[in-house]
Amino acid sequence: MKKYIIKRVFISLITILVLVSVVFALVRLIPGDPFASEKMTPEIKANLERYYGFDKPLIVQYFTYLKNLVTGNLGYSMFYPNLRVNDIIASAFPYSFDLGMRALSMAISFGLILGIVAALNRGKVLDFTCVLIAIIGTSMPDFIIGATLQYFFGIKWGLLPVAQYKGISYTILPSIALGFYTLALVSRVMRANMIETIQQDYIKTAKSKGISKLRVIIKHQIRNAIMPVITILGPIVAALLTGTFVIESIFAIPGMGRHYVQSIQNLDYTIILGMTVFYGSFLVVANMIVDLLYGIVDPRIRVSGE
Amino acid sequence: MKGKKLLAWMLIIILAFSVVGCTTPGSEEPEEPAEEPEEPAEGEEPEEGEEPAEESEKILTYSLTADVPTLDQHLANSIPSATVGHQIFEGLIRTYQGEVRPGIAEDWEMSEDGTTYTFYLRDAQWSDGEPVTAQDFEYSFRRLLDPETASGYAFIGMALKNANAVNKGEVPVEDLGVTAIDEKTLEVELENPAGYFLSMLSMMQFAPTRQDYVEEFGKDYAATAENNVYNGPFVVKEWRHEDRLILEKNPNYWDADSINLDEVHIIVVPDQMTALAMFEDGELDMVEVPAEVVSQYDDQVEYYYNGANDFIKLQMDGSSPLENKDLRLALNYALDRQEFIMLSTGGLYDPNPRYVLPQVNGVDGEYGDEYPYAAYPVEGDVDTALEHLDAAMEALGVSDPSEIELELLTTDVERTRKEAEIIQDDLESKLGIKIDIRQVPYRQRLDMEGAKDFEMVVTGWAPDYSDPMTYLELWTTDSGYNHGSYSNPEYDAKIELARTSTDQQERMDAMFEAEKILLEDGAIIPLQLRRIAMLTNPDLVGFESYFVGLSYEYTYADFE
Repeated sequence: MKKYIIKRVFISLITILVLVSVVFALVRLIPGDPFASEKMTPEIKANLERYYGFDKPLIVQYFTYLKNLVTGNLGYSMFYPNLRVNDIIASAFPYSFDLGMRALSMAISFGLILGIVAALNRGKVLDFTCVLIAIIGTSMPDFIIGATLQYFFGIKWGLLPVAQYKGISYTILPSIALGFYTLALVSRVMRANMIETIQQDYIKTAKSKGISKLRVIIKHQIRNAIMPVITILGPIVAALLTGTFVIESIFAIPGMGRHYVQSIQNLDYTIILGMTVFYGSFLVVANMIVDLLYGIVDPRIRVSGE
Repeated sequence: MKGKKLLAWMLIIILAFSVVGCTTPGSEEPEEPAEEPEEPAEGEEPEEGEEPAEESEKILTYSLTADVPTLDQHLANSIPSATVGHQIFEGLIRTYQGEVRPGIAEDWEMSEDGTTYTFYLRDAQWSDGEPVTAQDFEYSFRRLLDPETASGYAFIGMALKNANAVNKGEVPVEDLGVTAIDEKTLEVELENPAGYFLSMLSMMQFAPTRQDYVEEFGKDYAATAENNVYNGPFVVKEWRHEDRLILEKNPNYWDADSINLDEVHIIVVPDQMTALAMFEDGELDMVEVPAEVVSQYDDQVEYYYNGANDFIKLQMDGSSPLENKDLRLALNYALDRQEFIMLSTGGLYDPNPRYVLPQVNGVDGEYGDEYPYAAYPVEGDVDTALEHLDAAMEALGVSDPSEIELELLTTDVERTRKEAEIIQDDLESKLGIKIDIRQVPYRQRLDMEGAKDFEMVVTGWAPDYSDPMTYLELWTTDSGYNHGSYSNPEYDAKIELARTSTDQQERMDAMFEAEKILLEDGAIIPLQLRRIAMLTNPDLVGFESYFVGLSYEYTYADFE
């Protein structure tokens, strides 16, 4: 087991190293100059390049970056010259994580309910309604949903705050806007799977055994239909939790999303790299945990891995 | 097998859910426990809840599309930083709406030749109670130009004696033209007399700076509210990056009696439409209305010029047919600037038939009023344009205008794409030449511009001080900003005269002559002056806009 864990961790570290190296090279290949401004002169630019160590060979800069990275230091932003990238992530991530979690829990719970209700009322008005919601959710972009919610709940009816993120009431609209697509997706998959399981032999068997209808639905139908839903959740979890630019921008939430876009516009090399390392590590670590749990749950894996 | 993997994912999700279940209250206010009791957040009696709060505390709230990049005096290089810097720091001079008023300097003297100023400081305090000294100014000016500081805004200090040499690292910072004679007396020497220099001293780059703070915090200086010390009308109370910056009235400020606001809340709202919705909801006291919806607020908006002046730089280094003056004039005369602004912004921006921003200071009033000028008719003059085109074709040895092909470089955003297409369409249809549009990201465009790697580029210039020189100094033969390689000895002579003269009338006349020479040479294609439509809370008074260095001035704002 120990060997298995060490191996998984080692592979994860290599993955992150490759990621950092590739991104380090790519960032420098983006055309343009981070110090460029209407008022920049060659002399002032030279001072800035010296200050940030850009006058040194790229390979030296690369190893300096790696050395700092090992100590967990992502450096200072270039656009926000007094801010450490570590601090920027530390202050932005909790917002994105909180919003993502709310969107996710809403999407999963309501998505499942809608899917189940639709499947059980197949062909009836209720099914039609649920399918309609799913179609809206998958076809309407999130910024339209966000702006619509803002207009009605925020401005027209004055029920909820228009933007920002400073209390429970502020979280409702952005969570819905962010989670709506996932909700629709979950309900569609769930509905399809429910309908598929209905025709399975074990359902017929269960019914013929005289088990109550409700029990068949809960114990057999839902339990079997829910597995594929979890498959699609993997990447969605990572995407929702690490911030989305559009929703955070519409609702003025100080999360990670805006940094992805802003840092590239500003050519803020350190933030681009820091965000990539963070996001990449998030995915790598999540996968590693899955693999480790997998190994715990299924001993055959870790034995064959050794 | 697959099922087990799914089970593991499920465990992670459940785990994550339980984690968030515990931390939810904390993560709403990641850095601080809940506050903002005044916000009518839960929708309970919002009207009644707001009134008493406003009476006891006067809070001005406005939004920015991105966080203030820095509040370090010398690393600051943007309008949002300068706007806040103007409130939390005070230099020797304080300007209000461009008017020079005593700041930390109570009084000053200028030498006969206009190059040496002596400032006498008042008894003023920092927010930590320490006195503001001449040494704080000496340190500040030196830090601005010290190559070690690597200030991107160091150019603003180039009027100081030896500034260029100091910034290049050729001479030690001690050689800079600034000397603290004693605690309360500061002497400043300039390279050339500059009538506008006093007003520049109100900018945050010239604000006093505490060496002890800078040395204690190093690179983290000014990163938080606590890592900085203030001497302006307001101090930074709280700074949650990318979220909100809260200023609070500074009780130690020497003129605190004139300050009416208790707090200023600057909120980051990236989306302008959201900001507009928040304004309508009463959450903001001021908002800039996006161009697309200005017409819906026609009767309520106030307009102001933010100083941004857009024009097209032309490459005259010999690599392009634009070296030909007649061709440049043909483009200038052909362009219908009135139609251009109607099509691009629905008339929000103003067409500009000249180069210098008309709002800058002239001899007594505004330069534009004292020296009215339109180098080209605003609606264009096709006949004159075609005459110049014929002359150009002859000189270039071209028989058909379609053989003239020019590349127009611009930034890859929607607004600039639209602008470029309007220009392309107008010039192609009137002159029969060919214009190719090339769109690149903003930073790349600037980089290419600086490297003179363009034929025509849509660009602009915002003033650094309220004087025509801020525009005209770009185009001298030796200027580092002369990316179009323009060179006219007559122009250089006029600028030199304006630089050395201490007679304001003579200076202005010389600069106006220079502006005319530049445009008669067709060295650039002026386009537009940007106008901003702003909505303000009707109870808010004394909230002003300005066009040099900063966008809003609310030092003396109040609620009625």
